[in-house]
Amino acid sequence: MTLIKIDHQSWIDGIKKAKAAYRVFGPVKEKKDHEFKLLDEDRMPDLDCQNTRMSPKAIIYPQSQIMFNYSLDESKDDCRIMKEVENVSSPQAIIGIRPCDALAFPIVRRNFDTPEYQDTYWVKAYEATTFVGLACSSACGTCFCTSAGTGPFGEEGLDVLMVADGDGFYANPLTEKGRAFVKTAGWTGKADSNAAEKIEQMKTAAEASVTSSVATDRLHDKTILELYNAPFWEQDAFACINCGTCTYICPTCWCFDVQDEISGKSGVRMRNWDSCMSPLFTLHASGHNPRPQKHERLRQRFMHKLKYYVDKYDNGIQCVGCGRCIRLCPVNIDIRSICNKMNNFDANACVCKVTSA
Amino acid sequence: MKNLLEHTGIESGRLHFSWISSAESTKFVDVVKKITAEVKTLDPANKKYVKTEPKVA
Amino acid sequence: MTDYTDKIKEIAKRLLAEGKVDIVIGFRKGTLPMMNQPHVAASAESADELIWDSSCGLNLANYLTDKKGKIGIIAKGCDSRNIVTHVIENKIQRDQLYIIGVPCTGMIDHHKIKAMFDQEVRNVDESGDQITISGDGFSKTVSKQELLAENCAVCTHRNPVIYDELAGDLVTEQTNVDPYASVKTVEALSADEKWRYFEDLIAPCIRCYACRNACPLCYCPTCFVDESRPQWVGKSQDTVDIRTFHLLRAYHCAGRCTDCGACERACPMGIKIREFTKKLNKDCLELYGWEAGLSIDQRPPLDTYKNNDPQDFIK
Repeated sequence: MTLIKIDHQSWIDGIKKAKAAYRVFGPVKEKKDHEFKLLDEDRMPDLDCQNTRMSPKAIIYPQSQIMFNYSLDESKDDCRIMKEVENVSSPQAIIGIRPCDALAFPIVRRNFDTPEYQDTYWVKAYEATTFVGLACSSACGTCFCTSAGTGPFGEEGLDVLMVADGDGFYANPLTEKGRAFVKTAGWTGKADSNAAEKIEQMKTAAEASVTSSVATDRLHDKTILELYNAPFWEQDAFACINCGTCTYICPTCWCFDVQDEISGKSGVRMRNWDSCMSPLFTLHASGHNPRPQKHERLRQRFMHKLKYYVDKYDNGIQCVGCGRCIRLCPVNIDIRSICNKMNNFDANACVCKVTSA
Repeated sequence: MKNLLEHTGIESGRLHFSWISSAESTKFVDVVKKITAEVKTLDPANKKYVKTEPKVA
Repeated sequence: MTDYTDKIKEIAKRLLAEGKVDIVIGFRKGTLPMMNQPHVAASAESADELIWDSSCGLNLANYLTDKKGKIGIIAKGCDSRNIVTHVIENKIQRDQLYIIGVPCTGMIDHHKIKAMFDQEVRNVDESGDQITISGDGFSKTVSKQELLAENCAVCTHRNPVIYDELAGDLVTEQTNVDPYASVKTVEALSADEKWRYFEDLIAPCIRCYACRNACPLCYCPTCFVDESRPQWVGKSQDTVDIRTFHLLRAYHCAGRCTDCGACERACPMGIKIREFTKKLNKDCLELYGWEAGLSIDQRPPLDTYKNNDPQDFIK
């Protein structure tokens, strides 16, 4: 592990050099909040933020993405033939991504990149991306990354992990892609010998600042049916207004809807993010809807994140502890309390009253 | 409706309302001529609210 | 307004014990500062969780649509007007409801408060009309008047218009406020500027529909944006589609919106959704002399025909 030291000027120069070889994305402040955006010529990433409002999943997996286009002009030879639209063409880099958001990508990859099926749009974009992460020096009240499979200095999903130090950074290239990026940026200054210890101390302090946590140790052992039939779902789902906020801002949510849009003599087939909280999400063509009631949809979402995924992949929960859903849910539905309820649920000692709501 | 559209930037000359019975063909022709003339005086480059293909990033 | 909490708990427990209602809908304390969770209480134990403070901005009338049984509901001024609208539109029967009226002195705006500080807000305490906001290494006390949500700052219907019992004394209505000041500013712009103003306003929209779902008026079984045969509006991030959603949703709320602000409060992106509906409310007032939900006996203007309805838009 060769730790690199980047001073302030090298940082600025490095980003500039990187832009020549990569499409560089970083957090920028627009109006009141930070979001990840493509950095044009002179713009530097603004790393003075705890985290962005929307997760960076949109860089690999845009909210609306055109997959094919076609002509409906009968006089043309290629009428009604779908042509794939090239979505990602060049190497790109995400600077300043936090370890929680970075862990989300390997989680989603388990679904989108399997030996039998591949989501080629997602995979191509993912493979073209270098993740240059920034460790968190202190956590928000809603962060619970340490109990969700990573931590403020977590490395999974990252190609480079940077740690802020004064107005410069330490950088630890973790993969081939990471080493290539660091080389392109011209960051070669070696960190001095006590840097590793300094970072270790910062890491311990950061992990101690994560005060929020979820209990997940017993999720695996419970049976699906006992959790499914638990009586707390109706009460907890009362407040839910079935918008799509939690699903759209969540870095690990992956559902989408495919649709054709036609205008005149041409059309496109595109996909848009979709939300399982929407009543129409499971509406069948026959008119039947297996999840017509909102507590059924709420239950589905949390069972998926905290039980089905746990059982299927045996690699922890499908949540990285970023806390966005807690901060942005309009009615304050809190995944932490629901996770703890699920984990601690004892079917035999059930005393909860099911309301008529 | 007209007020709301105008409030958000679509000129009021673009939306017209008229009661015309199917028996009032001369009135229909008059109204159509009048509306066409009025809309033509508006900015032809203003295609902001016309969607052809979905414009997504 | 925190002193309403005890009265609300007492009323709720009494109603449930006497069997006057099956459930009471109110708020319970949230897990984050400035957030409270809509809560349904069916027992005395559950009713003990009910609270009231200046972060109860969501509209509880949203949870009434098409419900069966006897329901107790806590309603501030704007909520009560939405309950009236619900009754007029047949989405709930008046005799199903026991309305616990709450005279309101306004709700604080969590978007505004978060934007005031660089650091995370960890605690918000209120005492009378002083709000103390604190976090890691900072603490500031501000008068509530400065932190009010925009719609609360210009509200002229703070007392519930309909109720079965009050949880506090009636408050004086504000008289020196202009509810439509910002609408007038936009009206003064040119067509191009107006277009850009709204384009800018809805640029962050992610089509989550939190605004629509938090709104008590939006109760169509299939919303027009979800309709697929025929499909009126695309579901993508195309700017024309986003604009159409907001324009048409506002239009469907014309003459019915009570400016409760739940849409703005619910929006995760902090968009000022009320810019669309306020214009229509102003028009309704000017053209028909109508404000939504004030009287359970009157039919709304878009529902009725009168000979002197303004007709200058149609020839």
